[in-house]
Amino acid sequence: MFRLQGSRTLAVDLAGDAVKAKNGSMVAYDGRMTFKKMTGGGDGLRGMVTRRLTGEQMSVMEVTGQGTCYFADRASEISLVSLHGDKLHVEASNLLCTDSGLRTGTTFTGLRGGASGNGLFTTTVEGTGQVAIMSDGSAVALRVSAQYPLFVDPGAYIAHQGNLQQHFQSGVNFRTLIGEGSGESFQIRFEGEGVVYVQPSERNTIGGDV
Amino acid sequence: MPFREINSKMVEATVVPGQKMYSQRGAMLAYRGEVSFTPNIQGGQGGLMSMIGRRVAGEATPLMTVEGSGTVMFGHGGHHIQVINLAGDTLYVEADRLLAFDGTLQQGTMFMGSQGGVMGMVRGQVSGQGLFTTTLQGHGAVAVMAHGGVIELPIVPGRDVHVDPQAYVAHHGDVRNKLSTALGWRDMVGRGSGEAFQLELSGSGAVYVQASEEKL
Repeated sequence: MFRLQGSRTLAVDLAGDAVKAKNGSMVAYDGRMTFKKMTGGGDGLRGMVTRRLTGEQMSVMEVTGQGTCYFADRASEISLVSLHGDKLHVEASNLLCTDSGLRTGTTFTGLRGGASGNGLFTTTVEGTGQVAIMSDGSAVALRVSAQYPLFVDPGAYIAHQGNLQQHFQSGVNFRTLIGEGSGESFQIRFEGEGVVYVQPSERNTIGGDV
Repeated sequence: MPFREINSKMVEATVVPGQKMYSQRGAMLAYRGEVSFTPNIQGGQGGLMSMIGRRVAGEATPLMTVEGSGTVMFGHGGHHIQVINLAGDTLYVEADRLLAFDGTLQQGTMFMGSQGGVMGMVRGQVSGQGLFTTTLQGHGAVAVMAHGGVIELPIVPGRDVHVDPQAYVAHHGDVRNKLSTALGWRDMVGRGSGEAFQLELSGSGAVYVQASEEKL
């Protein structure tokens, strides 16, 4: 069971079951816990090779035991996402903790990845259970429906779930070329039905400079 | 004199004549009324010997004495502030995490080796606390800084709390602590889970943990 203790600490109650968490993110626990690093993000050999090749490496540890374990990482704000058989796309660096019943994998994101400063691949989490994601500042969940597409700055995007198509679009014009750009030349457009998580802070991206 | 939290990063203290309080030098943000700030060369209470003790122990943070009548606001470096009220028990905290505290509290320095011998000294090194730590004892309030928010975990007998040494902030009460290691062959080959060392706290009291592994 995941619950938030304040906005920056995640408390997980364990009763003999397991969770997967970012390596070294435990800050305290009571009861008895064991920590084991899962080589290659815990996706088996094939997942490990894929992660190495795609640069979407995660160091993940498996936490098992009885009691309450507290997780936090560099005072990042934490949001909880519940999955009911659907798929969450999240950057490996924004993933803090997942239920052990959830499957993780990697997918190709295309051009968006390059502009958002996260590489061309992203991590997917699939199944039924809870996920804790991290953001710089508290994340907002923005709903996307068929008639209302959403435009997101690539540097502020952290995760999305649901049945969404993403398109990369640029507003580069002659002003940008002469160095008078507004700093908002690239956006990701989300269409379909789902939720997009956005942080109130921007990573350093190639797109953010023009 | 209690501290009033204005927001998570600022506290306000009321100063009344005849009651001193100590704060980290330069941590004053604003004040109302007639308040004077005197740099305290001794770095706290207890006279010359205590001063030498602190210097030797490396627990000498520049402190100032705050006196007068009025209200003073404190904050430092955008760090989160946790106010801890002591009712006769002892608070163990790193000197550089101390933002401000009542003059009624007894300040002291504790050798890590006195709690657990050699392992206590190792513990100090691992958690970055060094060989000495500061203690505050008595009745009064202390404002402690931490990176990210702070959570308070109660320690009750029979239910030990384990803390990442880097996320440890302070503890009070009748608490025994020791360093527990979970070093396995995985850590030796660089495949560790990053949780090889933990502080194991047992007894009765409370421990304060910050939501970050960063030092101040």
